Amino acid sequence: MATNPGKLLQSSRRDFLKGTAAVATILIAPGIFLYKTGQAAAGLEREARWGMLIDTNALSEADVDACVSACQREHGWQTAEGSRTDAQWVRKLRLEEPETGHQKFLPMMCQHCESPPCVDVCPTGASFKRADGIVLVDRHTCIGCRYCMMACPYKARSFIHENLKDQLPVAPRGKGTVESCTMCVHRVDRDGADAVPACAEAVNRNDSKAILFGNLNDPQSEISRRLRELGGTRLRADMGLNPGVRYQGL
Amino acid sequence: MPMLKSKLRFAMLVCVLGLLPGAPGAAEQARSQFGNIAIPDPAKPLSADKCVEPVEIMRRDHMEFLLHQRDETVIDGERGSKYSLVGCMNCHNPAGADGKVVRYEDPQHFCAECHAYASVRIDCFECHADRGLLQSQQGRLDMHAPAWKASAAVPPTSTLQRRLGTVDGD
Amino acid sequence: MQSSIRYAEIRTSSPGYWGILIALFAVALLGVAGAHHMDVEGHHVSGMSNQIVWGLPHVFAIFLIVAASGALNIASLASVFARQDYKPLARFSAILSVALLVGGLAILLLDLGRPERLIVAMTQYNFKSIFAWNIILYTGFVVIVVAYLWLMMERRMQRWSKPAGLVAFLWRLVLTTGTGSIFGFLVAREAFDSALLAPLFIIMSFAFGLAIFILLLMLSFWLDQRELDGSHLQRLRKLLGIFIAAVLYFVVVFHLTKLYGTQNHGFERFILMDGGIYTTLFWLVQIGLGSLLPLALIYAPPLQDSAKSLVAACLLVIVGAFAQLYIIIIGGQAYPLNIFPGYIVASSFFDGVVAEYTPSLWEFLLGFGGLTAALLIAMLVLRVLPIMPEALRAESG
Ligand code: SF4
Ligand code: SF4
Repeated sequence: MATNPGKLLQSSRRDFLKGTAAVATILIAPGIFLYKTGQAAAGLEREARWGMLIDTNALSEADVDACVSACQREHGWQTAEGSRTDAQWVRKLRLEEPETGHQKFLPMMCQHCESPPCVDVCPTGASFKRADGIVLVDRHTCIGCRYCMMACPYKARSFIHENLKDQLPVAPRGKGTVESCTMCVHRVDRDGADAVPACAEAVNRNDSKAILFGNLNDPQSEISRRLRELGGTRLRADMGLNPGVRYQGL
Repeated sequence: MPMLKSKLRFAMLVCVLGLLPGAPGAAEQARSQFGNIAIPDPAKPLSADKCVEPVEIMRRDHMEFLLHQRDETVIDGERGSKYSLVGCMNCHNPAGADGKVVRYEDPQHFCAECHAYASVRIDCFECHADRGLLQSQQGRLDMHAPAWKASAAVPPTSTLQRRLGTVDGD
Repeated sequence: MQSSIRYAEIRTSSPGYWGILIALFAVALLGVAGAHHMDVEGHHVSGMSNQIVWGLPHVFAIFLIVAASGALNIASLASVFARQDYKPLARFSAILSVALLVGGLAILLLDLGRPERLIVAMTQYNFKSIFAWNIILYTGFVVIVVAYLWLMMERRMQRWSKPAGLVAFLWRLVLTTGTGSIFGFLVAREAFDSALLAPLFIIMSFAFGLAIFILLLMLSFWLDQRELDGSHLQRLRKLLGIFIAAVLYFVVVFHLTKLYGTQNHGFERFILMDGGIYTTLFWLVQIGLGSLLPLALIYAPPLQDSAKSLVAACLLVIVGAFAQLYIIIIGGQAYPLNIFPGYIVASSFFDGVVAEYTPSLWEFLLGFGGLTAALLIAMLVLRVLPIMPEALRAESG
């Protein structure tokens, strides 16, 4: 933070107010409904670009499974075995080197591209990139044309093929619209740079951070430091989409 | 086409409900106008003493509030809005003591009562939860409705302190 | 000279005519029912999936939209290229193209996950999206062609019909380019990653549109027992032959350029050699039945004057068209994305495998429903407006 004083100045007042509001919530209203104090959430940080660094060497097959089920629990989606129509926000990919037979497992989800083809092709603008780089579908305006699914190079998106019930409050989802990984945007809005997406929470034990969430725009952030030191692979880098999700160990 | 129809019906509902608080006897008028169907009087919320806006404003404008709020949340990440739908449901459709909740297909549902009366489809609940948060979900899902459980809506101390400028962040 | 052509509504009341209309209407209704079922139940009742996201309805829709712009050719030849011999058929050409477009758009709309949100699609545009542009191009096309038709039909306005025809002609070129670009913009998918896709679509539109045009022309003349001289059919027949050959040529060039780049060898191998149904469709239906056989039917000397062989050729062109679009649209999705070159990939999301697709009854209903709706519109307009010339005699041009 200190390295970027301009940014700090710019956002400090707003953040200060938000911080105060949060304090007020604790002090004044324990257990009472106080509707005007809803500003506790951090909200969207316009200067940030959120990303994730996934260290495939630190992930066993069971870890990747844990990522997937954590995401399912968090957002309330399920996939029946062998289903072609059920949604998969994140999936376990097995990569095998043909010569050696060596296998790797990694979680594959929306890569939150900087120049997302899904956003470019969406006729209504329902596919959009937030100011902080998270790519979402606004399900209120999605017409279900599936053009974005055709355009995504990572097959990251799912169409909801049937009526749903019992959706979770944090992840509204319904028939006839398209969805994908949100980078746990509800956690990001609450916790800002300290957010831990559900998949990361499932695999990060003690100090190991097999999935590291952070701000790619902040050179001091851990993710930027690690990328600087160890590098990270952009999938299909040839397409120049600059995904926000990077992989190590590929 | 269905869109237009529901808009018309909606306008009707707004007229009917808008009359209620203002003019005494308006309810009788409305009742006679629509035969002897009773105007709905949904149950009041269990735990709060007042809504986010006065009742008459909510009756007329709740959809405007929700519409505004939805864009703010989806696009600008504004999670703490007082007009959040989860907030509505927390008060107006909490789980009963036995853990049971009223679903929106049920005419007893807070929203369904008026919407059925005015024949306006409630699209919201095709995607959104039609019930308040269950105890078991609160720890995880509270960010939509900070008022439900105030402490959980506060960012972790480090963030808070950083924001307040009391510590020098990462 | 135009005044020498007399136009008239179709007047027949033969059982055959009404039978055809009722059949078309029934199938169109079934199409609506199929779409409704998919809308209520969700797309899991279709064969479409998260792998094959665009299915049979899209094949029908793209066919109709492509054919729509091609059907306008005859009018363009008359108005823009001053070919007087095509003049009598210009009105029908315009009507048919609007009808086909409406049918195709209806399919696209009804297949949406949220068709009731049409209003969103009409009011919120993302101008970076070729799809959004196409919505404008398609509606614009209908408006322009209807205006053009009116100018042609209104005696006092006829001098304006030529510039209007030019506008319509240019608009349709852009429209087909736009349709082709829907796929051309999908850079991640090897199947579509080609600058040749847009011109290929234009040339395809010529052949498909003309084939439908000839069939409907012959059908309505036959139903209403109007005189249709062989010389007119001969002209259309030659034109169709040229268009089929042109499509074939473009297909060859298309695949050759893809083979030139090594990165596309996998996909080319898939279509041309070991793609199962797609390979069969390509060689047998698209090339054999849809291109070579019609060419033979058109050019073989003993068949030259046979109206039947022309009908057969048109039908085969349409069959081939469906095969070709099926390969482009479905085959292009079935072939797996190559996210990790050099690795063998596997997942629960069907990474690394050729996606399966079996269209369901509902998709067939919706597709055929849109097709028949288009034909129905065209037939009905022929009944209420003087579109068709009373007769096409030997020297009517
Ligand atoms: S990974 Fe796919 S869905 Fe995600 S931003 Fe990129 S193109 Fe869009
Ligand atoms: S399916 Fe929805 S998000 Fe995707 S391109 Fe269509 S309207 Fe946009």
